[in-house]
Amino acid sequence: MKTMNSKKDGDMILSGVPGAPGIVIGNASIYKRRLPSVSEAFVSDGQIQHQLDEFQQARTKVEEELTQILDEQDEESTAELVRMQIEVIKDPELNKQVKQKIIDKNLTADAAVDSVFETYLRILKQNKAEDRSVDITDIRDRLIQVLHNYDLHDVADGAIIVANELSPREVIGFADQGAKGIVMDRGGVSSHAAIIARSMELPTVLGTQEGTSHITDDTQLIVDGRLGKVIVKPDEKTRKKYHEQIDKYRKVISEAKDICQSPNKTKDGVSFSLRANIEFVEELEAAKKYCAEGVGLLRTESIYLRKQNFKDVEEQLSFYTKILADTAPQPVVIRLFDAGGDKILDNNSVEQNPFLGWRGIRMLLDQQDLLEQQLTAICKAAADFKGRVRILIPMVSTLEHIHKVRTLLGSAQEKLRQDGIKVDESIQLGIMVEVPNVALQATLFAQHVDFMSIGTNDLTQYLLAVDRGNERISTLYDQRHPAIWQLIKNVSQAAKKEGVPLSVCGELASDPVSACCLVGMGIKDLSMNATALPAVKKALCTHKSSELTELTHKVLQTETIEQVNDLFSNWNNI
Amino acid sequence: MIKKKVTIVNDAGLHARPAAAMVKLASNYESDFYIHMYGYKVNGKSILGVMTLAAEKGAELELEVDGDDEEEALEAIIELIDSGFGEVYEDDEQ
Repeated sequence: MKTMNSKKDGDMILSGVPGAPGIVIGNASIYKRRLPSVSEAFVSDGQIQHQLDEFQQARTKVEEELTQILDEQDEESTAELVRMQIEVIKDPELNKQVKQKIIDKNLTADAAVDSVFETYLRILKQNKAEDRSVDITDIRDRLIQVLHNYDLHDVADGAIIVANELSPREVIGFADQGAKGIVMDRGGVSSHAAIIARSMELPTVLGTQEGTSHITDDTQLIVDGRLGKVIVKPDEKTRKKYHEQIDKYRKVISEAKDICQSPNKTKDGVSFSLRANIEFVEELEAAKKYCAEGVGLLRTESIYLRKQNFKDVEEQLSFYTKILADTAPQPVVIRLFDAGGDKILDNNSVEQNPFLGWRGIRMLLDQQDLLEQQLTAICKAAADFKGRVRILIPMVSTLEHIHKVRTLLGSAQEKLRQDGIKVDESIQLGIMVEVPNVALQATLFAQHVDFMSIGTNDLTQYLLAVDRGNERISTLYDQRHPAIWQLIKNVSQAAKKEGVPLSVCGELASDPVSACCLVGMGIKDLSMNATALPAVKKALCTHKSSELTELTHKVLQTETIEQVNDLFSNWNNI
Repeated sequence: MIKKKVTIVNDAGLHARPAAAMVKLASNYESDFYIHMYGYKVNGKSILGVMTLAAEKGAELELEVDGDDEEEALEAIIELIDSGFGEVYEDDEQ
């Protein structure tokens, strides 16, 4: 559940879903879409022509707005939607029927529009073709807004729009006015508004559920689009912390270009690999911009969360194919659906301890159809990109999990062979090391897989017994904890002994000093949010491998998190 | 006036994107264009009309085109429908 946490003396925090990355601090501007309250007045015969003219002008205006959005839109799924909306506004039947209502029934233009749309929306519902009714309603609302001379309210430059839900048109409209962030009560990661927000680089948090009822106009907010958090009325300390993060982020971006082009080598020539963690096709752009060597973690949960038939094999296939085609010839590590925990699914089951419950591979093995579909889609995609696909199993805690997936993978491939479809025999199967028992028994697990990747976010949570979503104990959650380093060391040695490739794809890898420490430990394959790549690369390129090893030795001798933090903050001014 | 029966072959049926594509294509021609389906008749140049048909894969439509460029228009529309609106995957054809 998305909840509002409030500490006694601290900040009020709204939890939602990350919609578009980035952090922004600004004042809220609440937007409530004016529901078209249609006038019921009838007009005199002398007024009819005026109403017809008004309608015509409104149509023209809305069509112009949509055409402009279409011209500026690179995202194909949004462009499709806008093309459809343009056809609606140009619809000759709609046009004819509205005019008839005005002429025959002396209706005002807005009442006529409302009445005609009402009929169409009702038939769509009857015929169970409602999937697009939201987009059609958006057009009706816009027409009526224009007829009422109502535009999106003016917002101050830097405002953060807080709304129940926004249409693409509204997102673009507010962005044009200078809005810098978005908070929506509803909307999923694949909603058109979210896609547009990402392409416009507007930090966005979705699904806050009750944001509009908790936030008032001009309230100061911090929108953390990376973590899906909105901090309401932040205190001085929090503001300072976030200002620092924003500055750091800006600095990194400005330096990124230069660093990006140099090879991935330490000062003394030891190579390492930096890859990108991504979830959406649109993130490939940033991955390319920051020179990621392929995708080290492809999250697939958004497929699951998409409602529009995205679960079927062909739709998934096209998603994987896009990613593989765009990152050739680099490898792509596809993580199987890692649902559960904080990623709420369609089911209504509420668990007492969701993070210790039915999630990741535990859920997938119970929903075998879903897993089989995903494996089939991945295998089909892999056929055209031989040797590049790696499948990563989330939340593994027993060897049985691996064996079962391997068996299902084998049957998926066999079935494809029987259907005459070529199969890539070299697909690798690996596991996320995120449950402490797997990290402890790393040698054993390594014997059964082709590769391993340490997910430090969950590993930290489980090792330190800290729910990372719980603000009250958030200070206890620190991925740099000495025990994490000890455990990573154990996994690293096991992987080396068994000759199994090992990478780190958790947030720890995106922290420059920690990344140095990981490479010093011999883990030379790191994957992270693309925007973190330049800073990590800079840290690694400006040191010799001996310096990295020395840092690793030191961190393995620490006893407390304070000692780790001291060591890191004093280390070579990174 | 000419009429012709066609079957929707793409998986998604005449949903928003194909409907928009068909309406847009039809609007390039002078001729009137109507679609008959299970007793309904809608203007084929009206996206709202076409969408309310909710024609699924396998649905049979009768296209009716009337005007100076009717043959050209009909041919173009049928070609678009038969092509599955660019939606048919290669693997399905095997």
